[in-house]
Amino acid sequence: VVNAQIAQPSGEKYTISEITVSGSSSFSEQTIVTYSGLRKGSVILIPGEEISEAIKKLWKSGLFSDIEIYIKDVKDNVASLEIHLYDLPTLHNLRITGVKKGKFDEIIEDNNLNEGVKVTENLITTTKNYLESKYRKDGFYSTKVNINVIPVKDSLNTKPGVNMIVAIDKGQKVKIKDINFIGNTVLTDSKLASSMKNTKKKVFGRVWKRSKFIEDDYKTDLVSIIDTYKENGYRDARIISDSIFVNNDETISININVEEGEQYTFGKIDFIGNTVYTDQYLNAILRVREGDTYNGVLLEKGIADETRPDGQDITNLYQNNGYLFSTINSVETNADGRVIDMEIRISEGKPVHFNDVSVVGNEKTNDHVIYRELRTRPGELYSKENVVRTVRELSQLGYFDAEKLSPNFNNPNPNEGTIDMEYAVEETGSSQIELQGGYGGGGFIGTLGLSFNNFSLRNIFNLESYKPLPMGDGQKLSLRLQASQFYRTYSFSFSEPWMGGKKPVQFSTSISYSNQFLYDSSTGEADTDRRFNILGVTVGLAKRLTVPDDFFTLSQAISFQHYNLKNYSTGLFTFADGYSNSLAYTIGLTRNNTWNDPVFPLGGSNFNVSAKLSLPYSLWNGVDYEGLETEREEEESIYNNPDASASEQNAAYTRMGEIDQERFNWLEFYKIKFKGEWYTSIIGKLVLKPTIEFGYLGAYNQSRGVIPFERFYLGGDGLGSYSLDGREAVALRGYPNQSIQPVDRNGNTTDDGAAIYNKFSLELRYPITLAASAKIYALTFVEGGAAFNTFRDYNPFQLKRSAGIGLRVFMPAFGLLGIDFGYGFDSLPGQSEPNGWETHFIIGQQF
Amino acid sequence: CSEYQQTLKATDIGPKFKLGEQLYNEGEFSKANRLFSQIVPSYRGKPQAEKLMFMYAQTQYGMRDYFASSYQFERFADSYPKSEKLEEASFLSAKSYYMRSPVFSKDQTETKVAIEKLQLFINLFPKSEYLAEASSFIQELDGKLERKAFEIAKQYNTISDYKASIKSFDNFLFQFPGSSLREDAMYYRFDSSFNLAIRSIERKKEERLESADRYYKDLMTGFSETQYLDRAGKMHEEIVEELKNYSTKS
Repeated sequence: VVNAQIAQPSGEKYTISEITVSGSSSFSEQTIVTYSGLRKGSVILIPGEEISEAIKKLWKSGLFSDIEIYIKDVKDNVASLEIHLYDLPTLHNLRITGVKKGKFDEIIEDNNLNEGVKVTENLITTTKNYLESKYRKDGFYSTKVNINVIPVKDSLNTKPGVNMIVAIDKGQKVKIKDINFIGNTVLTDSKLASSMKNTKKKVFGRVWKRSKFIEDDYKTDLVSIIDTYKENGYRDARIISDSIFVNNDETISININVEEGEQYTFGKIDFIGNTVYTDQYLNAILRVREGDTYNGVLLEKGIADETRPDGQDITNLYQNNGYLFSTINSVETNADGRVIDMEIRISEGKPVHFNDVSVVGNEKTNDHVIYRELRTRPGELYSKENVVRTVRELSQLGYFDAEKLSPNFNNPNPNEGTIDMEYAVEETGSSQIELQGGYGGGGFIGTLGLSFNNFSLRNIFNLESYKPLPMGDGQKLSLRLQASQFYRTYSFSFSEPWMGGKKPVQFSTSISYSNQFLYDSSTGEADTDRRFNILGVTVGLAKRLTVPDDFFTLSQAISFQHYNLKNYSTGLFTFADGYSNSLAYTIGLTRNNTWNDPVFPLGGSNFNVSAKLSLPYSLWNGVDYEGLETEREEEESIYNNPDASASEQNAAYTRMGEIDQERFNWLEFYKIKFKGEWYTSIIGKLVLKPTIEFGYLGAYNQSRGVIPFERFYLGGDGLGSYSLDGREAVALRGYPNQSIQPVDRNGNTTDDGAAIYNKFSLELRYPITLAASAKIYALTFVEGGAAFNTFRDYNPFQLKRSAGIGLRVFMPAFGLLGIDFGYGFDSLPGQSEPNGWETHFIIGQQF
Repeated sequence: CSEYQQTLKATDIGPKFKLGEQLYNEGEFSKANRLFSQIVPSYRGKPQAEKLMFMYAQTQYGMRDYFASSYQFERFADSYPKSEKLEEASFLSAKSYYMRSPVFSKDQTETKVAIEKLQLFINLFPKSEYLAEASSFIQELDGKLERKAFEIAKQYNTISDYKASIKSFDNFLFQFPGSSLREDAMYYRFDSSFNLAIRSIERKKEERLESADRYYKDLMTGFSETQYLDRAGKMHEEIVEELKNYSTKS
């Protein structure tokens, strides 16, 4: 056996007669030979590139160790090769000692110490280095890591294996006994010490910032000391030396030697190179005046505030108005007698216009749906603000992953003053399916709900586009079927955000039909002869406005409902057989500038005011409603008179029904609603959300009266199960659903819903995760609401109050799901005890 | 139990190869694919692997799994550079990329990759029997990119952002000098500039009318018998009429 590398001094050509494999490997000989790239029968140089290439290839596979190639049986330039190698051992068991169990996963993941990985020297060394530097960063200066590798024989497995023991000894955290400043006269020790944000002296009882010494933080803190001097006019302040002593008790002491220099004031401040803005205007933004104490930090902030990317500074002023290539520098021109003259040198550059604006990554959504939303368009002046707003609005469409949306600038050209802009998006699922079956309301309830938020109607007959459904035109289509023994609801709705594709005018339409049956007490089942049918059709248009600002939307809708009752008597109406029609016009104004994520807004506000009006039929239809009102009162008194005979009572009741049918054949009403909600970030992603709501349902003709439909039902989760009679379920947690019914001055309760309500709510939200696959946030709330029938009883502060906590989970396929636990502090109408705890399940988005 | 099911569950690789090949020849790609995917690891490095890998890639192609087939054919071409099937595999790999290209109104990253791959094929096999097909694919894909840019520029016209439309058509005409949509692009660029000028604020009106006039002349120079002759002519008359206001003043 001859080692090819040594035995053959110069390269000679050999034909390979055979290739064999020796050593120990679990791979087949054939695999190894194929992998090496050497071929039987080929002619190669030995020594030469092919052999070293083969060794390199095998090395790179990361599967073998001790790889050598031998040349054998050399005869007339024919030779056979032998590949000699061993499999690298794989990792069997890993034991980590010296740190908490909770840290294991992180260590394993960061170093890829999973079972079955090949254990190389490199792996051991990098793991050791990683751990030592990791704990050093946390202030454990004397961390020692010892890694032991023990070979194991596995009876089943022929592969060589090892167990690995990672012993970590973190040692003591280094604490700082004291920090001494030398040479400071104008600023006190404590002032300087407090400017060191991360390096703190050991003080008993301080919980927020524990004393620890971390090299990087310490360096930053030294800069902070100088900054503190700079803020106070000591431009020349510097640290002459700093030294660290190790004390006996495993603590350290730090001596910092400063030289303060003299205090300076600002002299003249000149702007040079500004042609777009005047000196005065720039000076107002800079906020530095001649004669002020020199403050280097404030000066920097006025030029470019690093801590606030959207701050009011000169750099942003230029950036938001097209001057992408502008640079601003401050230069001290004269420092005579402790007065510093400054020159702010501005190189404005050309105003930059967008050249090409593109979107990439839209694998489902068609271009036209996205490009119409862009606020940065070809030929327009560059504006950082508009870029930020475009990103926000694209993410609000709900088709893209908000966390991954990124604006990229390409091909900046300062000479031409152009830049290309590319928005990289990533599609997320925007369809929701709801399929439910459950037992409730005295029987089985099944719900099938489909909602497609990025539908394409024009492709509905194009079979090719079904992947699994025609998508990508930004239309919204939803279907909902709900059925139980006692009611059935069918609804369909469709909306197109840009009707005609020319203007952002949203067209929406919906059709719904529902039947409800009464309970038959003799059979215990639904009585299909006693029914209440409702048919509704709505067509609406909503238009984005540009005045007063472009967050406003004006919406209009015409809706028609037909109510049909057969043998259906409840407390709601006195006519058991009859009908009612409602034709109404709704106009609403909305302003929504909440941002970023529609599921979890971090800021902005959302206002909505609307009016729903019917025609004032009583003005011209010639019916004497006043007469009817008097007659009804008379009939009612007969009906309620215990002395009246049964037949008299029945006749009175029938007449009351006839009168009600006359009053409500065409519903005459107006309804006004207001809702406002604000989102404010308190610290980071902790968001406060106050809400105010108000609603009023009135009648044009008081004699005709307030209609029994379209009313407000306060309480509970706010989910209306069958709200086709125009009723609006208003959420008020801490009380049962629709339980807060108006109480009049005499203490009588009705259960037909309220004509007036108001609600105040304060919610604090904190996100647990905002990943695209599932967004989860926790919340806590206090709220209160009140419901009344007339303004005479109205008292906005007679609230039913509650408080509680909750959790929301948003998954793209299921929408928003949540649970709230609320405690009602007040009693329900007709009861005297506080309502106590209620649990609410929330399905769908209630914001 | 059918023969297929039995073979699928068996452990012997020989019969799987045989039955898979038979199914492959019969065009039962998805069945053949299931068998092949089981035995591909075992054949790695063996002489039969060349044939197997080619058939395996073919089954994926047959199943319209173009993501997999583009990769498998490419791998085949890399692994067997001396194979007689090299040219066919290279072409099918490029064609798989071509098949992956989506409709023009969606992200065209795949289209650009496909053009690159097809061009690479043409460079490698300039005398290939598939040359004509490959070139026609490139043309079709180029057409998609053109159409995309055109439609975006036209949409700006539709939503009345005339400035963005003019700029986008400028870019389009610069980027695709040989496009079949050139005439339409020039017409719509003129239409945008016409609308911008007619609705302009007074301060900028003259300048905008003049630039619309220039765009009209560009259209007429390029396409003197354009299908938009009537419409464009009428708009141009209006521009000339409006421009008179300015020439008399000065």
